[in-house]
Amino acid sequence: MTIISGISDLIQNNAQQNISIFEAEALVYADQLFRVALKLCRDRAKAEDLIQETYLQAWRSFHRFEPGTNLRAWLYKILFNVFYSGQRRERLELVPVEETIAETMAYDPPTPQHLTEEEVLLALERMPRDFQIPIVLADVEELSYREIADALQIPVGTVMSRLHRGRKMLRMELANYARGAGYQVAE
Amino acid sequence: MQEMDCRSFKDLLDSYLSQELAIETNHAVLRHAEQCGGCRAEMAARRQLRSTLRRACSRESMSEEACQQLRVLLHAAANDQAGEREHIASKPRKVFSRYFNLRFASVAATVALLFVAGLAFSYYLSLSVSKAQSVELSTALFDQSAEDHLTCATRFVNSNGHGAMPESVKTYDPTYLALDRIAEVGAEGLQLRSAHLCSGGGRKFAHLVYTRHTQVISLLVTERDGRSLKLGKVPANDGADIKLQQAARNHLVLDAYQTTKHIVLVVSDLPQTENVILAERLALPVAEHLRRVERTSTVRHHPEWRIGARDNLDNLIGQSTINHFPIR
Repeated sequence: MTIISGISDLIQNNAQQNISIFEAEALVYADQLFRVALKLCRDRAKAEDLIQETYLQAWRSFHRFEPGTNLRAWLYKILFNVFYSGQRRERLELVPVEETIAETMAYDPPTPQHLTEEEVLLALERMPRDFQIPIVLADVEELSYREIADALQIPVGTVMSRLHRGRKMLRMELANYARGAGYQVAE
Repeated sequence: MQEMDCRSFKDLLDSYLSQELAIETNHAVLRHAEQCGGCRAEMAARRQLRSTLRRACSRESMSEEACQQLRVLLHAAANDQAGEREHIASKPRKVFSRYFNLRFASVAATVALLFVAGLAFSYYLSLSVSKAQSVELSTALFDQSAEDHLTCATRFVNSNGHGAMPESVKTYDPTYLALDRIAEVGAEGLQLRSAHLCSGGGRKFAHLVYTRHTQVISLLVTERDGRSLKLGKVPANDGADIKLQQAARNHLVLDAYQTTKHIVLVVSDLPQTENVILAERLALPVAEHLRRVERTSTVRHHPEWRIGARDNLDNLIGQSTINHFPIR
């Protein structure tokens, strides 16, 4: 019996050690993940739920995580997995219409200067999520194309084209806005 | 090398700013920018846009409350996992190899095998029980809920008190804390008059009181215990597939959803069909939220979460290991 209780102590200590390691290494990314979750859910409470679920799942499969590989990218992957499994239907509704719109915009207006954070955020929110998320992941969170492709479960080529079109779309949106608001744009 | 024109410059500019270009292309981009004022301005504008975007997107952060809840959940999951491993040591794990030698592992495996067989058998038994007797809610539960609606909800008809669940709710059941926010989704057209904990007929409820014109509607959440079920005990059933159950008390209609650990009711004096619709709008999202929380956490298994155990709860939250690592 003493052997059994000794083992259970070992296991208990082990779990506590592991959760401490997990917390120290993974929780530092909570805010970054939360910001992406917020873009996905467009609702604070839902985003917080998504983060909770993401971390719980990450903890459960932490023993499969290979030390030395990119923990942040791994967490993003889980985040999108959890999000997609909750919204299977929506994921299939990719927006081919928007893609064709983006493709036809040969005109690339000059980027307005001195935009406020609010103006940029607003323009970003107006974009389809399929283009918005890669931009946030690449230009804000600085994930590599490979990491974004893994997280979103799409090919690297698709990530690149969405980024290209997305950035252009964002600039168009801002240029239209700036023209309306009488902003100076460089010619 | 051929000189770059403005069009290709603009095409390559984002890749340049992301530092993705080959060295030669990088030079070509820079050479063009040196010669062309317009493109130089465009480069500056895009660089500026990028940093504004980064600043704008980095403003949000998780609330303190959510961070702490996350830590508590993780610790509960860790404790739970340790408990599970204690019994089911059959899965080989990397960390174990340090402590187990082969002979010992085989003894442990035998013990685990017997245990798993026992578990499977008891699960099989419980399945056949729950199939034989469906998980009907008890008359007592409907009586208590109706009583709570009549005695409590009517007091808040004209209250315009704030709707948020008081913080203190979490000492009873942390999952109740966000109830008002979750129910809000389906509460369009209804006015939230109060959110609180109360008891009716000796049963504790989390209570959201709504009004629509002159009608009063209660959303009640309570523990799914033995007394709330006709069976007299909680079967080993996850409650996820149990359909809406309806009951009537005098002029009141009650519709109830069950989760593994909770029962969510909508009580009103509306016609039956309208109450069902309200239940789907108000109670179903709450039930789904609870199912999700219950699936992902075992917080409620903790004796510390029980009523009147505030000190224990504070201990749980304040454990030094939890606060060691700042989240930001």
